[in-house]
Amino acid sequence: MVALQSELHPAAPASEPPFRHSIRWIPDTSEKNRVVVEVTGFNKAELAELHKAPRTIQQWQRILSVYAAQGDVISDIGLPAMAGAYSVTANALRFEPQFAFASGVKYRLAFHPSQLPGARGGTSKSISSEFQLPVRRSIPTAVVSRVHPTADVLPENLLKFYVHFSAPMSGGHVYEHIHLRNDAGKDVELPFLEIDEELWNPAMTRLTLFIDPGRIKRGVLPLEEIGPALEEGKRYSLVIDKEWKDADGVPMKESFAKVFRVGPPDREAIDTARWKLSPPSGDLAPLVVAFPKPLDHALAQRLIHVTRQSGELVEGRAGVEDYERRWTFVPDNPWKPGPYRLVVQTTIEDLAGNNIGKSFEVDLFEGVQRRITNSTVKFPFEIRAP
Amino acid sequence: MKRIVRYVGVALASLAVAALSANAANWTAGMKEGPVALKSAGPLAFGPEGILFVADTKAAALVAIDTGDTKAAADGKLLKVDGINQKIAALLGTAADQILISDMVVNPTSRNAYLAVARGRGPDATAVIVRVKVDGQLELFPLDKVKSSRGELPDAPVEAISGQSVRQSNPRQESITDIAFLEDRLLIAGLSNEEFSSTLRAIPFPFKTVGKGTSVEIYHGAHGKFETRSPIRTFVPFKVGNEPTLLAAYTCTPLVQFPIKELQPGAKIKGKTVAELGNRNRPIDMIVYQKDGKDYLLLANNSRGIMKITTDSIEQTESITDPVRDGGKKGLSYETIEAWKGVDQLDRFDKQHAAVLRRGEGGALNLESLALP
Repeated sequence: MVALQSELHPAAPASEPPFRHSIRWIPDTSEKNRVVVEVTGFNKAELAELHKAPRTIQQWQRILSVYAAQGDVISDIGLPAMAGAYSVTANALRFEPQFAFASGVKYRLAFHPSQLPGARGGTSKSISSEFQLPVRRSIPTAVVSRVHPTADVLPENLLKFYVHFSAPMSGGHVYEHIHLRNDAGKDVELPFLEIDEELWNPAMTRLTLFIDPGRIKRGVLPLEEIGPALEEGKRYSLVIDKEWKDADGVPMKESFAKVFRVGPPDREAIDTARWKLSPPSGDLAPLVVAFPKPLDHALAQRLIHVTRQSGELVEGRAGVEDYERRWTFVPDNPWKPGPYRLVVQTTIEDLAGNNIGKSFEVDLFEGVQRRITNSTVKFPFEIRAP
Repeated sequence: MKRIVRYVGVALASLAVAALSANAANWTAGMKEGPVALKSAGPLAFGPEGILFVADTKAAALVAIDTGDTKAAADGKLLKVDGINQKIAALLGTAADQILISDMVVNPTSRNAYLAVARGRGPDATAVIVRVKVDGQLELFPLDKVKSSRGELPDAPVEAISGQSVRQSNPRQESITDIAFLEDRLLIAGLSNEEFSSTLRAIPFPFKTVGKGTSVEIYHGAHGKFETRSPIRTFVPFKVGNEPTLLAAYTCTPLVQFPIKELQPGAKIKGKTVAELGNRNRPIDMIVYQKDGKDYLLLANNSRGIMKITTDSIEQTESITDPVRDGGKKGLSYETIEAWKGVDQLDRFDKQHAAVLRRGEGGALNLESLALP
């Protein structure tokens, strides 16, 4: 193919220097770390040829490729070239990588003039060039900001922890960095439900850790053979290693440990009859609901609402306090005299996954309603006229 | 974490073919050509005629892509790509520790492998689909101009918490742990990062603009007395006698069977525990295949290697209702294939082979075809 083109387009004059082409790595300001590559120094015949024929990606890559190095030159043999788009401008061959460059990665460019249309059958020397972004920030700043539940005594059949971070974290293999340690400092074996998808919030600042239900549910194999993850009367620490990297790839500033004692298991459904609602005095005073036992922090935040009697939602700010035993709500606009309702979805959970009217482990399936009901419990309350 | 249904026993396969011919011209109905924006790429599954389903967890949606990859592969070619994590990283212009492969499926017709990959590990990671051709060539599957359609997850969480003035973004997210295409619908197993529940949803395909699909809660108990809604890790459709059923592997290792006809909107279903697969064990992927006229399940686990499970007696197997002690296996019998170590991803390759992603020496991740045991 090259030979054929050579016949059609006479070779470049012998007086041309062997390295007349030059390579430029050009930062593209449209996006952070985006870099475009340009090769210039083509003669007219080459440019005309480059402009002429549409080429496949493979054909372009034979002329110009950018490789993201994975190791040394030898181990990089056989790596595919970086994906991107090729174009020819008035005087340059241009490659726009599909992705922004990553810091810490070495990019190697290989330009093979011998593959150019019109080149003299492979005599022109290949040109290579390397590019690397400046090394990024490496001062650790991210920390575990809090862990829910916040109490220091937790039920033996505790279902989950929420680990909150001060900054977005990196996912993948997170369970390597999380340990449940007993009083002797020994790791509890496989206490968590390890899920490849990892249960993050969209911002990746909160990770949900379920205790393996096999270590909670009565009668299943893991519990029978290995025993519960947590045992009543003992002390444990939930430990997060500082080696865990944030979303920028920088390790955390410090490790974290939450020390707690284990109390008896809780197999009771949530009984809303025992909740204590204190109606606000008016204006912007908070509505306060006290629970006899702690509830799941995230669900208490999300599944309790205030409405007018008409069902219209009251906008405001909800908070969960006192070791998840108190819910408060401050409306955006002052309370108006009249009837209101506190609306709670029955799928709300306590620390052991018990719902309203339904415990985590259902005692015989026949006792369960056969249909899913998205029901709510409503508490009427009244704001009195001053 | 992906399933193709067509290999599930002869009878079900013919059922699928019947459904296929009835809808032959309609599979791409409602698809539009243009760019596909994926917020994330989770479990994958192939449907009919080269249609690839991608679970986009962050968008709470399923995307069906017409890959056009419908040319049958020549027999005898096997997949073998060493260091595929480094090769994918090179293709995406980054370092190998900056990519995460969340699933791998093999197109049953062309036998090209498709991988769901995140470029980056933080919240801004870019989701891409990488195609590995049978000859070992890697390419970025172009998402900028393809025919696709989109199905929203029924009862998906809303973006903001209502009633909260600051309109803080909703931290709830539903992870999709597995998807499978069955006849004319897509089955989706999900798990929330807040409520403890296991939902299995079915949404009709081609996706319709109306109709929210089916959502069921599945209960199972290995003891008989206590039942919970445990999360499904991986599942396959499987025919038991004449009854199409799903076999679901749970995170706490029982293998549970339940009839597909029970997947009615809003239903609560009780599954039958047909095997207890031992503790210290986490199911990863499951496929069904035939050998010497018998159906087998192959289940990849994080710690126990690969389990080859005999399904002969599944119809007669009584639900396991007593605790299983002392090393424990009960119900269907299985053997552990010790030679298949370090398997991260598993799918059918052809009638005689599975495709696996597994860790080799020095931590390199290799894609290869292995003869089915």
